[in-house]
Formats: sequence, C-alpha cells, structure tokens
Amino acid sequence: MAFHQARWDEPLLWEIRTPIESKVDPIQGIPEPLLRKTPFRWPEPTELELSRHFTRLSQMNFSIETGIYPLGSCTMKYNPRVGEVLARDLSMTAAHPAQPVSTVQGTLEMLYRLEEALGKITGLPNVSLQPAAGAHGEFTGLLVARAYFHKKGDPRTEVILPETAHGTNPASSSMAGFAPREIPSKDGCVDLRALSDAISPRTAVFMLTNPNTAGLFEEEVLEIADRVHAQGALLYYDGANMNAILGKTNPGKMGFDIAHLNLHKTFSTPHGGGGPGAAALCVTDALTGFLPVPRLVKEGRKFRWSYDHPDSIGKVRSFYGNVGMDLRAFAFIMAHGEDGLRRVSERSVLNSNYLAHRLGKLLPRPFKPLVKHEFLLSGLPLRERGLRTLDLAKRLLDEGVHAPTVYFPSLVEESLMVEPPETESKYSLDAYYSAMERSIKDTDENIHAAPRRLAVGRVDEVAAAKNLRLSWRDLRRTP
Amino acid sequence: MVNWVPPEWEDREMLAELGIGSVEDLFRDIPKKARMGRIGLKPSMEEPALVDLVRGILSKNRPVSGFDSFLGGGVYTRYTPAVVDGLLQRSEYYTSYTPYQPEASQGTLQAMFEFQSLWVELSNLEVANASLYDGATALAEGVLMALRLHPGKRVLVPGSLNWERRSVIENYSHGAGVELVDIPWDPTTGLLDIDFIAREARKDVAAVVVEIPDSFGLLDARLPSLKSTLGEVPLVVYADPMSLSLLEPPGSWGADIVAGEGQGFGLPLSYGGPHLGLLAARLSAVRQLPGRLVGVTQDADGRRAFTLTLGTREQHIRRSRATSNVCTNHSLMALAFLAYATAMGPRGLRRLAEAQHATVGSLVTALQGTRHLQVPRFKTPYLFDVAIGVEGATVDQFLSAMLERKIFAGVPLDDPRPVAPHPRLNAFLATAGPEIDAKAIARYASAARAFGGA
Repeated sequence: MAFHQARWDEPLLWEIRTPIESKVDPIQGIPEPLLRKTPFRWPEPTELELSRHFTRLSQMNFSIETGIYPLGSCTMKYNPRVGEVLARDLSMTAAHPAQPVSTVQGTLEMLYRLEEALGKITGLPNVSLQPAAGAHGEFTGLLVARAYFHKKGDPRTEVILPETAHGTNPASSSMAGFAPREIPSKDGCVDLRALSDAISPRTAVFMLTNPNTAGLFEEEVLEIADRVHAQGALLYYDGANMNAILGKTNPGKMGFDIAHLNLHKTFSTPHGGGGPGAAALCVTDALTGFLPVPRLVKEGRKFRWSYDHPDSIGKVRSFYGNVGMDLRAFAFIMAHGEDGLRRVSERSVLNSNYLAHRLGKLLPRPFKPLVKHEFLLSGLPLRERGLRTLDLAKRLLDEGVHAPTVYFPSLVEESLMVEPPETESKYSLDAYYSAMERSIKDTDENIHAAPRRLAVGRVDEVAAAKNLRLSWRDLRRTP
Repeated sequence: MVNWVPPEWEDREMLAELGIGSVEDLFRDIPKKARMGRIGLKPSMEEPALVDLVRGILSKNRPVSGFDSFLGGGVYTRYTPAVVDGLLQRSEYYTSYTPYQPEASQGTLQAMFEFQSLWVELSNLEVANASLYDGATALAEGVLMALRLHPGKRVLVPGSLNWERRSVIENYSHGAGVELVDIPWDPTTGLLDIDFIAREARKDVAAVVVEIPDSFGLLDARLPSLKSTLGEVPLVVYADPMSLSLLEPPGSWGADIVAGEGQGFGLPLSYGGPHLGLLAARLSAVRQLPGRLVGVTQDADGRRAFTLTLGTREQHIRRSRATSNVCTNHSLMALAFLAYATAMGPRGLRRLAEAQHATVGSLVTALQGTRHLQVPRFKTPYLFDVAIGVEGATVDQFLSAMLERKIFAGVPLDDPRPVAPHPRLNAFLATAGPEIDAKAIARYASAARAFGGA
C-alpha cells in the first residue's frame, strides 16, 4: 500500500480573496482619538472558500487518525470520538466561568470526581486542575515547593534534575526562581552517587520522570526518595510518562511529594496540532495549602469554589483549568475503569517491548533491554553511509507513518525515541517495523531525497531562520 | 468494555515473540515496596453507559438558555458560525501534535502562519507567536519578555488590574525577581494616574503594563500618547482582540508588546478553558519572544513551505535559559480564532463590536436611577462592559437577588480571597452581547428596581 499525502499548493487566505479594508466611522461613546485609523485588512472569503481552504490544509496534516504517530514522550494514543461528543454538551461549552456555582453543579461534580480519580491514580490525593499543560503543571508544582520552603523559613535555591530530563523541567525551574542543576546519568538512569554529591541543604526539589526519557524504570527510586528527603528536599514527579505505570505503581508509592499529569498524554485528550493540553497537579497533604486557588470543595451534596487558603500561591492562569479537556479525560478514565486503566499500561509496555525487540534487529538499542512505554534506538550506524537520524525520519514519513522523536534525549547519539501507545495493534507495530526496514534498506540517494510523497519535499529549516518571514506583513516586504 | 485497546489474544503472540510468559514479567523492574494494589476505581463500562453517566452528571447543570446572561469581563458569549466548529472537528487537525516534522504537517503550519499574520494585522505589531494558554499567561509572558529587553527591577501594573491577571504576573515573575508596583487609579474616573507612570518610569522600571479596555471595562483616551513619556521602557498592552476591530491598535501608538485573550473569537466559554493567549511584539525583539513560531521557507524543489523556526529560543533546545517553559500551546484554539475572524471578516467583526457597545449603552440607559446601583460606577467611556457599583448591599446580595429572577447580572470586580490586598470596590461588570435584546434589558431593569437592598 503506497502512501501519498495530498499536495494542494494551497494559497494563503489573502491570496484567495483580496483583503477588505475596514473603515471605522465615529461611534457614540468612544473617544475619537481611540478610533481605528490604521486599516485592518483581512480577506472575506465565502463560507465555501473558507471551508475548502481549511479542508485542503487538513489533508496536508499527518495525524493519529491518519496513521501511527509514535513520538516518544508524547503518548499519541487514539482520542476516542465519544469525548468530542460529550465535551460539546451545551451546558458545558456555554457556561461562563463567573456563573453562580448553583447553575454549574454538574460540571463541578465532574471536576470533583476527576480530581478524586487522579488522586487515587497518583497516590497523591490533593489535586488542582488549574494548569493548562504539562510544563505549566511543572511550573505550578515548583511554585508550590517554593511557597512551602518560604513558609518554613527555609528558602532554598536549587532544583536538581537528571541530564535526561525533558527540556521543560529546567525551563520551569528557572521561571519559578530556582537555579536548575543537571546531574549525569549512569546506564541511562540516575547516578546515585552524582545525586548524593549534588544534593545539599540548598536543594529544594529533585525532579524525576519515571520511567525516564530513555524508557527505563528507575529501579532505585525508593533509595532516591530517601536521599532527597534526608536533605529535607521534595521529590517531584514529571508525569509525562505516566502511561507506563497505571495501576502498577504510582508517584505516592514511589515516594514523590508532587506530581503533574499530562491529561493530553495518558488520559487521551486530543493534542490539537500542538494544544490545548491540560494538566493536573497532585500533592501530599503537607503541600495542600499551597495549591492554586480556587480549590473545589464538596459540602454535603453541593460543590463550590473556595478562595480561603491564605498559603495558596494564587493563580497561574485565569479561571479553573481547561475544563473542556478535563471532561474528555474524565470520560476516558470512567470508560476504562480499574481494570481498563491497568490494561492501558500493560498493553503500552507490551507494545513498546515488542517493537523495541523487533526494531532492535535493525538499529542498536542502548542500555538494558527491558523498557517501559517507550524506548531508544540509535541511528549511529547510518553515519558510515553519510546519513543521519534526521534522514531516516524523513524517509519514514514516506511510508505513511510518523517519525519517532529524534535527537532527544541527547544522552544517546543520533537517538530515536519511540512510543507506541496501547491503542496500536500488533498489525500496526509489524507494519511500522516493515516501514523502518524498507526505509533503512533503501538507497542512500533515496533516503537523502526523502520525503517525496508528502505535501512538500524536504523543508529548508535553516533558510526559514536566516530569512525570517513570520507573517503576511513580512511576505509583503520580502516575498 | 470500550474497544480502545487491541484484543488480548494479540498479547500472547507478542509475548511469545519476546519469549516471556506474561505481561507481568514486563513490570519486574518495579521494586516490590513500590507496587500498588487496587487503584480504587469502578469497573470499566461500555460507551452507552459512559454517555449516560457523563450526561447524567452534566444534567445537574442548569441550562444557560433559561437565563439572561450579562456576564462578560473579558470572556464573552458570541455566536460562532457553524463552519468553524465543523473545521475544528477534522481529526487531521485535532489529533495531530506540534509540527516537529514540517513535511508531514503543512496544514497546521500554514494555518498557524495565517493566525500569526492575523494577530499582527489586528495589533499592528510586527511578529506574533503561534499561541499561548490564555490572556493572563500571555500577559505574564509579555512582561517576562519585556524584562529581557530592558533592565530594571520594577514593573508598573494598573492598580485596577483584574486580580487573576495580577496574580498570574506575580507568579510568573518570581524567577526574574522583580517587584510589581500598582499604578494608582482615580476613584471617580477609574483611570490610571498617568503622571505617576511618567514619574516612576524613570526609576529602575523594566516595563509598564496598561490595558485597553481596562479591567473596569474603560477606555482611556490618553493611552495613545503614553509611550512618549516612557522613553526606552517597554510598553506592554493587554488588548481585547474584538476591540481592535474598532480601536486604533496599540502597535500604532507605541506598544512594544501586545497580549490578549482570544476567547471572544469563535471559542466557546467552556466554563473558563481552553481559551487562547495572544502575544505580539516588535521584530527586533523576536529572539526574546516565547512560544512556537512558524516561518515561510521552501522545500528541496523550491516550493513554498512552512516550518517551525527560531527553535533555539525554546525549552527543548535552550533548557534553563529558554525564553519560556511553554511547550504544548493552544494551537487548535488559534485555528478557531483564525477561522472565526475570516468567516466574520473585518466588517462583520466591526459590526459585532459596535452592536455590543451600543447594547451595553442601552443597558446603562435602562438602569438610570435604579436605587442601590451606581450606573455607571465610573464617569469614563466604556467599551464592552460597564462597571456598576452597589450601594446599601453587597455585590453578592444583588447578584443573588437577580439570579432568583433568572438573570446572570454581572461579574464581581473584587478579589474573592479574604486576604486580598486591594481595597473593596463593591462593584461588578455587566456586558450585553448579541443575544441580549430590548426585552432582556427590560427584565434586567425591572429586576434591579425590585431589589430592596440588604
């Protein structure tokens, strides 16, 4: 089955219709100096033209519903359609955030039950759904840690993290006012000695992803927790890889104090071409008081928002969270239930080990063979053919499958990070193996020339940065 | 059980290939002491039961159609042409992710390029990113960006700033170690003390933040001349995108950074999220801009193509020294914003904005002389929201009384936290969108007149 993506050469909106220039006449009640004089120019296509434009563009987009999308650490699993139907319930979508709580008891009950479920799943029972995405959850969690140490009169300055950490971890640390310090790994996992050397009374938090970004379970996690706590520091769980451990272990059991969950990963809310995501922040009882306001509380059978939390860090965004996404995550959790969620992780880890085992025959795999939900390969052997991992990724696209995450983590040269979530069948994994095999065995010339079956050929990313054109306005100046 | 995971018989074939006996063997690397028992959730359910469960819970919401809603304050009820959600439901958009492989993702990339162009046209700045989470986080990121452009340890923010946005800026600026200084406002006009800004801007100030319309819904006619008093200090403006169909864009009066909330453009209210953060800046500052950026380039055959660019600003490359930690953004919301604005067109947007402004005016007229209410609270032009003061009762008491008559009468202005540092206004904001007609306004006025106070 040969794959060919649509190739429309679709014009930009303003190339379809000549833009209209809107003029503003005097308006009663608006001061004249404020009225728009700079023309606002934008096209006004017919509805059919608009629809065709965006339909054609969509046909030039690879997506989960187009084919397997095994981006490591992104958990690109099937997004059940029923979530889309349920989330469009008018009583949800039309509700203004300032509506009296008596009129949104259903939505609040859903959020409350989601918080409860996530508390059980993580073993950290105090949950805030305010963060908008994983990185936002990390940032919020670190602000909570900051407030905790501040309240104790022990303001600490450092966050320690493994060099394999997601880039958001150090970035969130800086934003929250900490100095991030990265420590080296050993065999793909935390080097306990390096951790002990780095940790001190200045350490506020050690951030860890488990399984980590090499797909390995950090088997010494309990020892890590002991050493972190012995210094009075907190242990932070980056939940990006939670899909591997549902019902097997949880951050609470492993000794973590704070965890964020990416609801758009593990709990299947759609990734939206880059977002929206949604996150939950889950903490131990000792940290509850620092969570963002408002907190959702239940009194008898009624739900309301509570603002009376003097130690709270305040707000990290407007309102309560990405409620529309929360509903989809709630539906996913309820549908799977106790056994279904455990099966999610079992099958995702099985898929990963199976595909790792098969692809390991084509490319070297670093570290121990047993992995969790994702695994690393190295494209290093391609180098003697004058090829890079990037070339292989481009060639893979021509097979109608998405490439893995490439060049992350940097721990492994020319790395490919593959995550085949639980919703992929054995057939799909075998097809991915075949796609990889055909790609690697293709001629060097063909690989260099890839992709050739997509809307465009190899994109010159260097030229984009050199000759910056970031809007219509730039194109008018430099076509 | 739902059919979202392939059948177990496949497991056996895969396990055989791996040469292991059971899936449980794959979890042997989790230490015994860290293993958990039951999660404590209910059993799985079929899709019809799931739909019943979720709809059953949501049925405890009271349908919005049973109320007259005058709720605004930055997020609004506006009709969205059906074509917008139709396009959003194309799974090629909503089930893809950040376009890391540009060749496979030209659809999202071209749409984001068009979105960036639209926010540039509306704000009349020079470069816009491909979205942030919401207006408050976009404003906070705008402030952080300003701090990278200009030295200084203080940021001037409106004393009238919405408490949520202020709290978000405060939390975002911990890392930068700056102090937020509240610009005083006049209790009669509600407007900022412009002399204070001009005076303080010279004293170690890294950025000045203003809003149009402001958090009281007001239009300050002096803003277009503000930049001339600031010298090199960056001016960060929080602007309602719908207002920019009518108002001179901040980019034309010296704003260096414009942030905004995009919800009013084709996004449902969704009880507060997901909404859309808008951010634009000057091209000279592009390397300090946070978030994803899409640029034009060409493919190997010289055909036009789109790609993410200037990734070296971002966390996945620059790590702790990135311009922001943002990774996942609100791309799908940006697509809705773009499709909505294009479906409405510049003239449609302007008509809608004018109509909303005029309807709020009708509400103000209808409420004249109502006991217990000060309408408007401030003697200053307003745009989409009018601030209304309550006398002889609390805002809560008034809003509750109105709720009994099936009216959502407004959004309280005061910070609801008991320890809030700001003086109490005892006022609220009311808007009147396209769904509010003369009868709804009459019902509001009559209910307000019936309010007997505390």
